[in-house]
Amino acid sequence: MFGQLFIKECRQTLKSLIFWLIVLGLLLNFSTQLGKMEIMDAPVKGQEEYGYHATTDKEVIMESTLGALAEEYYRGNYAAYPIGFYKNVTLNKKENSRIEEIIEETTGLSGTEEIEKAIDSWYAEGGPKTEQMTGSLMLEPEEDLTYEQFIELMDEADGIIGGGSKYGDGYRGTNAQVPMTYEEALEEYRFLIEKDKLTGGYARLFSDYMVIFLSILPVFLAVTRSLRDRRAKIQELIYTRRASSFVVVSSRYFAMLAMLAVSVLALSAIPLMQCVKYGSSAGISVDIFAFVKYTFGWLMPAVMITLSVGMFLTELTDTAVAVLVQGAWWFVSIFAGVNSLKGGMYGWNLAPRHNTELNWKGYQDGFSQLAANRIFYAALSMVLLAFTVFIYSQKRKGRLVIRGKILADRKNKFKV
Amino acid sequence: MSTAIKIRNLNQYYGKKQALKNVNLTIKTGMFGLLGRNGAGKTTLMKVLATLIPRSEGDISVCGRKVERVQGVRKIVGYLPQDFSVYPNMTVYEAMDYLGVLSGLNKGQRKERIPKLLERVNLQDDSRKKVKALSGGMKQRLGIAQAILHDPKVLIVDEPTAGLDPEERVRFRNLLCEIAEDRIVILSTHIVGDIEATCENIAVLDEGEIIYKGTVTDLIGMAEGKVYSAEISKRELEYLKGQFTVTSMLTMGNNVMVRFLANKQPFASAKSCEPGVEDAYMYLMQTKGGGISCLDSYL
Repeated sequence: MFGQLFIKECRQTLKSLIFWLIVLGLLLNFSTQLGKMEIMDAPVKGQEEYGYHATTDKEVIMESTLGALAEEYYRGNYAAYPIGFYKNVTLNKKENSRIEEIIEETTGLSGTEEIEKAIDSWYAEGGPKTEQMTGSLMLEPEEDLTYEQFIELMDEADGIIGGGSKYGDGYRGTNAQVPMTYEEALEEYRFLIEKDKLTGGYARLFSDYMVIFLSILPVFLAVTRSLRDRRAKIQELIYTRRASSFVVVSSRYFAMLAMLAVSVLALSAIPLMQCVKYGSSAGISVDIFAFVKYTFGWLMPAVMITLSVGMFLTELTDTAVAVLVQGAWWFVSIFAGVNSLKGGMYGWNLAPRHNTELNWKGYQDGFSQLAANRIFYAALSMVLLAFTVFIYSQKRKGRLVIRGKILADRKNKFKV
Repeated sequence: MSTAIKIRNLNQYYGKKQALKNVNLTIKTGMFGLLGRNGAGKTTLMKVLATLIPRSEGDISVCGRKVERVQGVRKIVGYLPQDFSVYPNMTVYEAMDYLGVLSGLNKGQRKERIPKLLERVNLQDDSRKKVKALSGGMKQRLGIAQAILHDPKVLIVDEPTAGLDPEERVRFRNLLCEIAEDRIVILSTHIVGDIEATCENIAVLDEGEIIYKGTVTDLIGMAEGKVYSAEISKRELEYLKGQFTVTSMLTMGNNVMVRFLANKQPFASAKSCEPGVEDAYMYLMQTKGGGISCLDSYL
């Protein structure tokens, strides 16, 4: 029965306007972000630039971060991204004086005048001594300042500012973007060709763009599918049928999942073909299944959890509240991901980011975390699906005892 | 295995409100009518039998299967709810096919049964029509077709003729009678004409209680000698309505031919007449029910 119902539900999904609007959204996202994607060529020695990367050099991190803190202190306001959005923070006198003390402890510069002098001389001398990406102020730390002490004091400064500043754990590492050398660029390219077989890197980039939309749009499909029964007043007809609640609910869930997976795979065929074409002309052996692997491994867990949140909350409340809940979760996830756009730090983000075809090493370093993340959400989705089945089966028997729905049920029941 | 529905001491509560009070019924093969005014508890009883509401107290078995064993009961029960509706964008065939899958029919069974059933309910030429384009009567016929798609032993039909035009109503009643030849069909309605035309055995519910169960003939017998007719002027009508329960009226120029209930001949021109089901129902409600209310009459 599941198989036949699954096919029927796939057809229903294909007839749904919401489904095609989602596909259109994905298509637009794809064409604006990846429509003009060009396959990267090998770096050539003597090239003007090879791109930038965040350095792990502690000295450069310290110099950049302290420079930024001194500049912001001098200006009297601090940029912060507490939940991803920009916030201009102005500190009170007591807080500012503590920041001044921190600057003194870390750089030896005492008071506004000394800081102003340091800023002026920095720019008068022509700015960065090393080829730092931003070109903004870099201040040498005190000789006896250890990296651990630096971290501790920067965490304190971040706390005073209210979190999400350039000095906290999330952003500190990105303060020091330095140009890549030819050797570094060549190594990245080698990883792309040899480890990622070209397609792996582009599949990650594809996933990065797609996951943004796929961790919110499917909720609309799930909500409308669940509410369609109520709108069509077909609930009682289905409730009294022989099909088990598991078969009814899971066939809908897997049909929506399958149709979305097919859409994503169809879209991925475009960059895949580009990679295959490039690979054949450049003599590179590509992994033609890379996009399939990333679609199922990276993207589908996001689709799964988004669908199951939609189905669960809609079945529970008979309202579209799931859109708000998923929207809030998505909002936080997307802006939390701003800290780790280039990949490697995936954490437990619903929409893990990796906005480059490069950084294979970062991907490798963060792989176990990413795998745990994706498995967790897929498993959580199954748990929510099981709860949805339970709620559905209780509603079929008129036994729902959860506030919100029970009120609606009672109202109906009094129509004796 | 039993072929009857047995309801013993059924009490149904919604919070503090008691919707059904000590209901005892045995329903055998054929048409069974459940009559009662709006709010009498008919839909509640239908929903309990259709496993949509768990029973609060009492025992119910449907053809030998305890009603608590919902999966078993759902296999043998077909249900046409009061507001029958399916996905409006589906065609008639698609709707039948979808509900057939939910009823556990395989592809072969669906291919075989759906055209036959659509023919039986005279929708064979409309199988590609979208459900939203069907008239009220066609929709109800589709409702019956879907309810018997899995060949249930019991068919529960809740207020099926409300909103149908007279021609469709007659067609629908006939269809129900045909279907009831080899299964139990429970017809719940507040329209007395539906019962009169289709059912031999009935029960009358009032405020959750069974106030009558038996044959239609016996119900009519209860009103024997209690029904009178008279031709009166329109001016006298209001007075008559105040004194007696009027069961029907027919305007004839300045006069009105009225049928009404009375224990004895109320005036000389009143003639005793043979009671009909509607007269008997009104008499029953007057004597055993919670008073007479406006009753829809489609006789």
